[in-house]
Amino acid sequence: MIPAILRAQLLSMRLVAHRGAAFSLITGVIWYGAWLFLATFVEALAQRAKVPLLSIWVPAGLLAVCLYWQIVPILSASMGSALDLRKLLIYPAPHGKLFAVDVLLRLTTGFEMVLILAGGVTGLLRNPAIRGLRSAPPMLSLILLFVLFNLLLASGLRSLLERLLSRRRLREVLVFLAILAFTLPRLLLVTDVRIGGVQNLGALIHFQAFPWAAIGDALLGGSTAAAFSIVLSWTLAAGWFGRGQFERNLRYDSMAAQATPSSTEPRRATSWSERFFRFPSLFLPDPLAGIIEKELRSLARTPRFRMVFVMGFSFGVMVWLPLVLGREAVRNSTLEHNFLVIVSVYALTLLGQVTYWNCFGFDRSAVQFYFAAPQPIAQTLLGKNIAALIFIYLEVFILIGVTVAIRMGAGFGGIVEVVLVVGICSLYMMAFGNISSVHYPRALTPERVSQGGASSRFQALVFILYPLALLPVFLAYLARYALASETAFIVVLTLAAVIGGLMYWLGMESALKAIASGRERILADLSRGEGPVASS
Amino acid sequence: MSPAAILVRDLKKSYGSVAAVNGVDLEVPRGSFFGFLGPNGAGKSTTIRILTGLIPADSGYIEILGLPLAENEIEIKSRIGLVPDESLLFDRLTGAEFLEFVGRMYRLDRRTAIERATGLLDLLELPNDRKIIGEYSKGMRKRVAMAAALIHHPDLFLMDEPFEGVDAVGARLMKDILIDQVRRGATVFLTSHVLEVVERLCDHIAIINHGAIVTAGTLEQLRAGGESLEDAFVRVVGAERQLERLDWL
Repeated sequence: MIPAILRAQLLSMRLVAHRGAAFSLITGVIWYGAWLFLATFVEALAQRAKVPLLSIWVPAGLLAVCLYWQIVPILSASMGSALDLRKLLIYPAPHGKLFAVDVLLRLTTGFEMVLILAGGVTGLLRNPAIRGLRSAPPMLSLILLFVLFNLLLASGLRSLLERLLSRRRLREVLVFLAILAFTLPRLLLVTDVRIGGVQNLGALIHFQAFPWAAIGDALLGGSTAAAFSIVLSWTLAAGWFGRGQFERNLRYDSMAAQATPSSTEPRRATSWSERFFRFPSLFLPDPLAGIIEKELRSLARTPRFRMVFVMGFSFGVMVWLPLVLGREAVRNSTLEHNFLVIVSVYALTLLGQVTYWNCFGFDRSAVQFYFAAPQPIAQTLLGKNIAALIFIYLEVFILIGVTVAIRMGAGFGGIVEVVLVVGICSLYMMAFGNISSVHYPRALTPERVSQGGASSRFQALVFILYPLALLPVFLAYLARYALASETAFIVVLTLAAVIGGLMYWLGMESALKAIASGRERILADLSRGEGPVASS
Repeated sequence: MSPAAILVRDLKKSYGSVAAVNGVDLEVPRGSFFGFLGPNGAGKSTTIRILTGLIPADSGYIEILGLPLAENEIEIKSRIGLVPDESLLFDRLTGAEFLEFVGRMYRLDRRTAIERATGLLDLLELPNDRKIIGEYSKGMRKRVAMAAALIHHPDLFLMDEPFEGVDAVGARLMKDILIDQVRRGATVFLTSHVLEVVERLCDHIAIINHGAIVTAGTLEQLRAGGESLEDAFVRVVGAERQLERLDWL
């Protein structure tokens, strides 16, 4: 059963894998190479550290591994591969075996942590201070049990979140709360706000009833039997939780949860949302205005887009704010001064994966409408870019409101600056985005919040494209800083805008040529289904 | 100007070494209800996709509504109503919003597009509410696609399996609308695997097999021997064979 599912998945992937093998390889080498480097570093540290230091850092490290495995996939909105139960439920597959495959697939979201654990354990085994305390077999057994605990917990959390995130409106609130839960302690720490729970983080790490503390204690001479019983108990609990959530997912009807509330009335033209959707038609002619309006409506109702939009203004502020504020003594005035620009550009990059990098992704096979309708395809790309820009500026205005609320408002000049900077960065991003949308299109499922926006081979290119797209604006800030001159800043920024306009035009021309010659391939790529394992 | 609604000469399209369309010659009279038949994989959908400009042909000449396709793509597209085999519906819009959008793409002003969309929803018994197309049944999706093909009052309809997945009542409604369109002078070019439907609706038929037209003419010409369309179809595509039995089945 399990080999049959994996074989079906491999056969489903072969065409994509063949075409994108080189880029996928580059992405993999860069990503896992970085983690391997970190694992080697951890190994070196663990090999040399003294027991008192290890007694602090081993439990803390194991807790960090656990948190990464469980939380990072949620925060990055990329929850890894999982079984597409809709395709497998019709077969007489025992649920236990399906659950086993699902648990194994959790390795895809935490393989980096397996590398880190391997590095840490190797270092500990080679540490002369530890060697005398514990032999390899119990140490390895405990770590393997810890890995299993994480896999089972991750499986349960994923199933639970998948159900919760499929509910209308609840998903955006959940994402916001998850981000808040993850970043608030850090924010409170750096701002020296004293709250008991935050200050007692050390107690949480070293409380013996937790698996990380029990393993840490056992590795450094404590009772192995006690550690085994604690970790085994947690693993069994995680297994019970994971299996229970998996079974609930099997019976869950996501279509019913996502159904539009019944209403026999069409939307009123005077409602706020309708005014927002129809706003471009006040200034622009059809068919361009029609395309923008369609994009605004579609994206606003796409769960995946809505989630990223919420992340755009919340995640950005919460991640960057602690860095900007720092502790009072080391408060970074340059970062603070440019806070609004930083979070706005961050939001622009985040929205890219659900808009301009893969602008036909949510249309899927319906993209053929644009090829069959009598409007020039350039208008379609332009309309999609303008719709993305409207959402980007909406995000920027929300961020302006947030910065004013937290008393970090940039003033009128700062607001004008951020509007200009975001516009100029968008020119470069969308120039690359239009090319990527036609060369690397990928069908996206609007309901699936955990699916990535671009193909893996394109994600490898993004590593290079983001810095490249932001470089001209960065040079303008560099000119302002180095020459201490506003004039220099304006001159370089103007130059960046002119070059950006040229880049956008070239990108559009290149994309149009690619559409003219590769229309069939684009249609095929956007109509392609996935195998029994839905990738992230 | 050619009297044909569609004129195709020596049309070719290959995928690798496989010829999907291999020298198709076709002439569809204006005002006809034309059935384009063929077994699975014969080249029907590929031909329709080439005619709509969705995919380019390798070679051949195409004239639609008297205009060469290569030089008049935009003009021709504005006069075609298309119902393809795969969905061209945008799932996150409501039926009314989608039809309004399509109308505007075909250069109708917003007011006219809304009026026509409302009328078509009513005609095709579709809800004008907040339900998005992604939540529609397969039959409803086909009806929305049909409404979208009608909204700009085209001269030619290109339809790939338009009745697939539609219930009997819906199919009857759609057929009546199409018959009405032919009466007013429009041309309907459709593919269908349901030969009874083709037999009842179409006055002209062409059968394609292995990428080439194997027979074409009026319905009466095809049934000259008094046989049914199904018998004629099976004979022409050479699909007559004994049913093989598997021991375990």
